[in-house]
Amino acid sequence: MSRMTLASHFIRRELRERYRGSFTGFGWALLQPLLQLAIYAFVFVQIFKARVPGAGAPGYVAFLVVAMWPWVAFSDAVVRSTTALQDNAALIGKVALPREILVLAPCSASFLLHACGYVAILVVLAIAGQDVHIARLPLALLMYLPMFAYTFGVALIFASLQVFVRDLVQMLGQLLTLMMFAAPIFYDRANLPERFRGYLDLNPFSFYVESLRSILLDYGDFPWRMFGVAMLTALLTLGFGHWLFRRLDPHFEDFL
Amino acid sequence: MSLLIEASGLGKAYPKAHRSADRLRALGRLLRGREDTDSQCVLRDVDLTIRRGESVAIVGENGAGKSTLLKLITGVLTPTAGQVRVFGKVGALLELGAGFHPEYSGRDNVAMAAALHGLDADALARRLPEIIAFADIGDYIDEPVKHYSSGMVVRLGFAIIASLKPDLLITDEVLAVGDESFQKKCVRWMETYLADGGTLLLVSHSMYHAQKLCRHALWLSHGEVMQFGDVFEVTQAYLAWHERKQAKAAERPETKSGLEFEVDEFQINGVGGNLAEVVSFGETLRLRAAVRSREGRPPVIMFGIVRADGTPVYGVSSEMDAIEIRCDAEGRFVAEVEFENLSLLPGSYNLRAHAMDSEGVRLFDSEERGLSVRGASREFGMVRLAHRWLPSGGDRD
Repeated sequence: MSRMTLASHFIRRELRERYRGSFTGFGWALLQPLLQLAIYAFVFVQIFKARVPGAGAPGYVAFLVVAMWPWVAFSDAVVRSTTALQDNAALIGKVALPREILVLAPCSASFLLHACGYVAILVVLAIAGQDVHIARLPLALLMYLPMFAYTFGVALIFASLQVFVRDLVQMLGQLLTLMMFAAPIFYDRANLPERFRGYLDLNPFSFYVESLRSILLDYGDFPWRMFGVAMLTALLTLGFGHWLFRRLDPHFEDFL
Repeated sequence: MSLLIEASGLGKAYPKAHRSADRLRALGRLLRGREDTDSQCVLRDVDLTIRRGESVAIVGENGAGKSTLLKLITGVLTPTAGQVRVFGKVGALLELGAGFHPEYSGRDNVAMAAALHGLDADALARRLPEIIAFADIGDYIDEPVKHYSSGMVVRLGFAIIASLKPDLLITDEVLAVGDESFQKKCVRWMETYLADGGTLLLVSHSMYHAQKLCRHALWLSHGEVMQFGDVFEVTQAYLAWHERKQAKAAERPETKSGLEFEVDEFQINGVGGNLAEVVSFGETLRLRAAVRSREGRPPVIMFGIVRADGTPVYGVSSEMDAIEIRCDAEGRFVAEVEFENLSLLPGSYNLRAHAMDSEGVRLFDSEERGLSVRGASREFGMVRLAHRWLPSGGDRD
C-alpha cells in the first residue's frame, strides 16, 4: 500500500517535472510527436511518395500514426529510465527506498502521456474522416499492457547497467534508431523483399505495430502466430530485468 | 527491553573504481556473484546491539566510518560483510536536506518525505500543521527549497522526523547547523522522545550534546570499534586520544621558559600530565599547580573552570582568598585547592591554572586540561546551587 502511494508520488512528480517551466505544459506531450509526425509525413508522403501497399489501404498518415505513437512512448520511456538511477543518485545515497520506483516513474509517465496523446490523435483522425475504428480503442490500449511490461523490463536492464557502464546512454540513441527502422513503422512487411520479411519477427516491437494496425485500421490480419511469443518475450524481459536489478541493487550506491 | 538493532561482524568496503574499465570489470564480477576484491575498507567487524530506550552517541574523527555505520543501519547501504537487522521504524536525518528536491516547495517536499516514510495522504494531512509549526520557517514553507538557508533545511527535515515518532531516531551531525533556539528545541524534543521510551543514535562532534543526550557511546576509529560503553568514559577516552595525537603532532615546544612566572605542573586529583580527567558528580576535586618564578618572587596562582564551550563557570585566585603560597623542594611555588562535594553538573569542562605576578595584575602563563563530570542529573545549568524547598503553603513569617 505504502509502495503504491510512493510510486504515485514519484510518477506525479515526474509528470510535473517534464513540463515545468514550459509554456504549454502538458501540451508538449501532444505537440512533440505531432511535429515529429509532420516531418515524417512530409518526407515520406511528399518526397518519397510513399504509399501503403494493398487495395483499400489506409492513408499513409493514419498508417504512420498508429505505429509511431506507441514507438514514441517506448523510446521515450527507455531513454528517460536509463539515466533514472544516475539522476537520483543524491536520493539513493541518503534515503532507503525501493529503487525500482525510480525507474518505474519515468516509464509510467511516458506511457501515460503518450497513451493520452494516442487517444487524442486517433480521435482527431477519425473526426477528419480517416478510417479509424475508434470503437476498438480499448482493445488497442489493452495492447499497451504487454508493451509496458516489455518496456519496463528493458528500462530496468538499461538503468542498472548504466550505473556501471556510462557509455550506455551514448549508444542508446543509435540502438533505438536501429530498432525503430527494424520494425515496420514507416513501411509495411509487404514492402520488404521476401527474404528479409522473416527477420521482422526478431524485433519485439513488430508485433505491437502489426497488431495495432490490424485492430485500429483493419489493415492486415491480427498477428496471432506471434501473440504467444510476444507475451512470453514481455514476461521474460520483465523477469530478467527484475532479476538483474535485484542483483545489482545492493551495489548501486557504491558506483554512483 | 526488546532488541532494536542487532549487528554482527558488520563491514563495508567501497570498490576502487576510478577508470571505466574497472567499472566494467566490477559489473562482470557482480553478475557472476563474486565479491569485489579490489576495494577500500571503511568499516570492519562492528558488533552492536541496541535495545529499545537506549541512547547511543557515535564519536570518532572524520572518516572513521560513523556515517557509513548509520547508512548501513538505515538500509541505504548494503554491508559487504556481516549483517544488521533493525526491528522497528527508523527515522533518519542523515545529511543536510537528504531527499529534498531543491526545485520544489517545502510543502511538496514534506509530502514526498512523508510518502518515503510510508505515510499516506490522510496521515500526512493530520500531521502537516504540526510539522509546519515545529519547523517554524514562516512563509518559506511555500518557497522552493533551493531558496532556503541551511538552517531552514534542517528545521524542516527535523520537523518531519519529529512528527513521525520513529522507534529509532538517527541523526548525523545536522543539529550543528541550526541556530541556538532551534538546537535547544531539538534537544528538548529529543529528551522528551527519550523519556517516552524512544531510541536515539546520534553522531556528534559536540561532546556536550553527546553527554547531554546519550547514556552510551561508541567510539569508531579507522572503521573499527575502539570502545563501547558509558558515554562519559568513552568520550573522555576519545578526547584524551585526540589530545595525545595533537601533542604528538605539535611535539610541545618545551621552550616557553624565560617567562617571569610559568606554570610548571598542573595536577587534577593527583594526576599530572596533560590528559583530561574524569570525576563523579559530588566527589572531591583537588587542583594543584606548581609555578616557577625566575626571580624568586612569589606569584599569584589562579584556578578557573570553564564549560567546554568556553563559558566561565568559576574562577578564584590565591590573592583573592589571601592565601600564602609555599615553596616546594625544587623551589617552585605550589598552590592547591580542593572543591569538596563538587557541585559541577555532569558534562565536559576545562580547568585552567594561571600564573600571575606577585600583585595579581599581569597574567604570565596558563595551563589547561579537560575535565568530565560523570553522573546522572536532570537539573539544568552548570552547577548545583545550594537550595532547599520551602514547605508548601509558603508560610512566611
